[in-house]
Amino acid sequence: MRRRFCQLNLGAVNSKRNITTTAQCQQADGLELGVNSKQRTCPVHQRPRSTHAALETPVFGTATSSAKSWEEVPGPKPLPLLGNTWRFAPYIGNYSVEHVDKVCLSLREQYGDCVKMAGLLGRPDMLFVFDAREVERVFRSEDGAPHRPAMPSLNYYKHVLRKDFFSAEENCAGVISVHGDSWSAFRTKVSRVALSVSAAAQYTEPVAEVADDFVYRISKIRNKDLETPDDFLNEIHKWSLESLSLIALDTRLGCFDACAGSDSQRLIDAVNTFFLCVGELELRAPWWRLYPTRMFKQYVAALDTILSVTLKYVERALEDSKTGGNKSLLQELVTAAGPRVAAVAALDMFLVGIDTTSNAVASILYQLSLRPAVQEKLYEEITKVLQNRPMRPGDVNQMPYLRACVKEVLRMFPVVVGNGRQLTKDTVICGYHIPKGTQVIFQHYVMSNSEENFVSASEFRPERWLLKTSGKHHAFASLPFGFGRRMCLGRRFAELEIHTVICKIVQAFRMEYHHELLDYHIHPMYTPNGPIRLKMIER
Amino acid sequence: MSLRNIFRTVRSTHSYLLRYNYLGASFSNYKSVVPLSTNIPALKDEKVKVTFVLNDGKRIETEAKVGDSLLDVVVNNDLNIEGYGACEGTLTCSTCHVILKQEDFDRLPEEASDEERDMLDLAYGLTDTSRLGCQIIMSKDLDGLEIQIPETINDARS
Repeated sequence: MRRRFCQLNLGAVNSKRNITTTAQCQQADGLELGVNSKQRTCPVHQRPRSTHAALETPVFGTATSSAKSWEEVPGPKPLPLLGNTWRFAPYIGNYSVEHVDKVCLSLREQYGDCVKMAGLLGRPDMLFVFDAREVERVFRSEDGAPHRPAMPSLNYYKHVLRKDFFSAEENCAGVISVHGDSWSAFRTKVSRVALSVSAAAQYTEPVAEVADDFVYRISKIRNKDLETPDDFLNEIHKWSLESLSLIALDTRLGCFDACAGSDSQRLIDAVNTFFLCVGELELRAPWWRLYPTRMFKQYVAALDTILSVTLKYVERALEDSKTGGNKSLLQELVTAAGPRVAAVAALDMFLVGIDTTSNAVASILYQLSLRPAVQEKLYEEITKVLQNRPMRPGDVNQMPYLRACVKEVLRMFPVVVGNGRQLTKDTVICGYHIPKGTQVIFQHYVMSNSEENFVSASEFRPERWLLKTSGKHHAFASLPFGFGRRMCLGRRFAELEIHTVICKIVQAFRMEYHHELLDYHIHPMYTPNGPIRLKMIER
Repeated sequence: MSLRNIFRTVRSTHSYLLRYNYLGASFSNYKSVVPLSTNIPALKDEKVKVTFVLNDGKRIETEAKVGDSLLDVVVNNDLNIEGYGACEGTLTCSTCHVILKQEDFDRLPEEASDEERDMLDLAYGLTDTSRLGCQIIMSKDLDGLEIQIPETINDARS
C-alpha cells in the first residue's frame, strides 16, 4: 500500500505539470507542493469516499508518511504578538472584513490551493482550502458529529451568559455553535421534521400567500419612476421574516405593516444587528473577551430580543395548537421532541434563516434585472406551469429553469462565501498534515468562480445546471447549503421561499436596473453593495 | 430592563415546558412525524426479499417490510454496511447511494425528486441507474430486488 502511494507521488512529481494550480504553488514557496489539479498528486485523491468510510481506512495513515508538515503550509506570516489579526484591522491592515472575497482570491493567487492563516488572536489556526476535490474528501471522511467552527461570541452567549436557559434541559442548546453529542442529539430530533421534503411542501400555499402580499407591497412602495426604494433590502427582510415566522412560529407577524417599535421591526432590527456584529466580533481582535465592548453589548441585546420575541410566539403558538388539528412544523417538533426543542430550533432559525434568505433573494432579483432574456424565459416557464392558477405543492419541481437560475446566482454570488469544519482528527489535506482542531474553511466563492471547476465561470449560464451529463463540473465546488450531517437545516424552507417569491415577482413584473452596476461586498452576507433600485414594470 | 423581560418570559415558558415536556421521542414518534413511505401503506407483516451486492461480491439476502425504505432495511436488519445512511434519510448526504439494474430502475414507481437529484449529483461514482436508498420504498412489486452498493461505502471495511 505504502509503496503504491510513493510511486504515485513520484510519478506525479516527475510528469509534466499542469500550469495553473501548480504554477501558483511554486510561486508561493518555490517548492513542489504536490498540489496539482489534473494529476491528482495527493495520494488520497485516488479514492474519494463516502461519509464515515474514511474513518477506519488505512489511507490516512499511509498518506501521512508522504505528507508535508503543517509548518510548511504556505500563508501570510503572522507577526510576533500581533499575529495576523492586524491584517483585518481598519486602516493599518490590508485585509478588509468587507472584502474577504477579494482577500481570498488574492490569497489563492499568491499561495495556491491551500493557505494557512495562523495567529488570529483568540482563534485556532485556519486553513483556507480552494480545491473542490479536497473539500469532497474532507466532507466524505466526516464522522457522525462533524464540528463546525463555532462563532465564539454566540458560543459565549449560549453557554456562558444564558447558560441557565440553554442548559436547563439536556441536549437542548440548538444547532448553531453547538457540537458533539449534544448537537447530534438535537439535530436528529429536528432534522427528521425540518428536512423532510413533505414538511416544506405543505407550506407551499401559505408561503405563496406571503409572496403575493410582498408583490402587492412592491407595487405600493415604488416611487414615481416605478423603482423600488433605497431600503428595498429591508423590505425583503420583512418578507423573509414573515415567511419564516409562518413556518417556525405558525404566526403571520404582519411584517409588511411593521412600524418602528413593533415586535416584527424589533425582530428585524435585532437580526440585522446580530449579523453585523458577528462579522466584526469574530474577525477583528476579540476585545469583548476582556470587557463588554459597545458592539458586544449591542450583540447581546439583539440576541436577547430575538430570544424573547421567539419565546413569546412559540408559547402563543403552543396554546393555539392545542385546539388546531393540522400538523405544522412547530407542532410536529413539539410532538417529536418537546416544546423547548421547538423553541430553540425556532431561535436558531431566526438567527440564520432571515437575512441569508433575503440577501439571496436580493441578489437574485438584482441579477435577473440585468438580464431581460433570462426573465422572459423564466416568465414563459412559469406561465406554462401555473396557467393563472394559484401555486400548488410540486409546481416548482416543474420549473427546472427557475431552479437553475437560483443555483447559478448562488454559484456566482454565494450568500455565504465559505463553509468550514473544525477537524476532529488529524487529516491530510492537499498533501499537508493538518492537525486536529484546525479550522478548515472551504472557499466556495473562489472555487465556484474558477475556470477549473466551471467552464466560462464568469458567465451567467443557468443552462449549465440543466445538462444531463454528469461530470460537467465538480459537484463540491458550489455548495450553497453545505453537505452531509451538518447541511443547512433550513434548506427545504429556504428553497421553497426563494423559488416561490422569485416565481411570483417574475410573474408580476418585468425588472430593469438603470443605475451604476453594483459591486458585491460582505455585509456579512455576500450581497450587492448599494441601494437595490429595481424598476418594476407590471406585466 | 429587557433582560428582566426575557427572564420573565423564560420563567413562564419554563413552567409551561415542564408540563408539556416529552422526555425524548420514541421511534414511533418519528414515524408519525415523517412517514418514510410516500404512498404505500405499510401492510402488516408483508415481507419481500432484497439482495444487497457489496463491492467485494459478497451478497446479503434479507427480508424487507413492505413500506420500508432501503435505508430502513439496512438499519432494521443490522446489515453492517459501513457509513450507510449517515444523515438518517434526510436527504443531506449521499451515503445510501445504490445502483440498480436498468429494468429495476425503470420500474420504480417514482422518479427521483429534485431534492434527491441534488444529492445524487454529490454521490461518488454516480451511474445512470443510481438512486438513494432512503428514497426507494419497498413494495410487493419489488420482491426479489437486487441492488449494488457502490465501491466507496464498503471497501473501507477490508
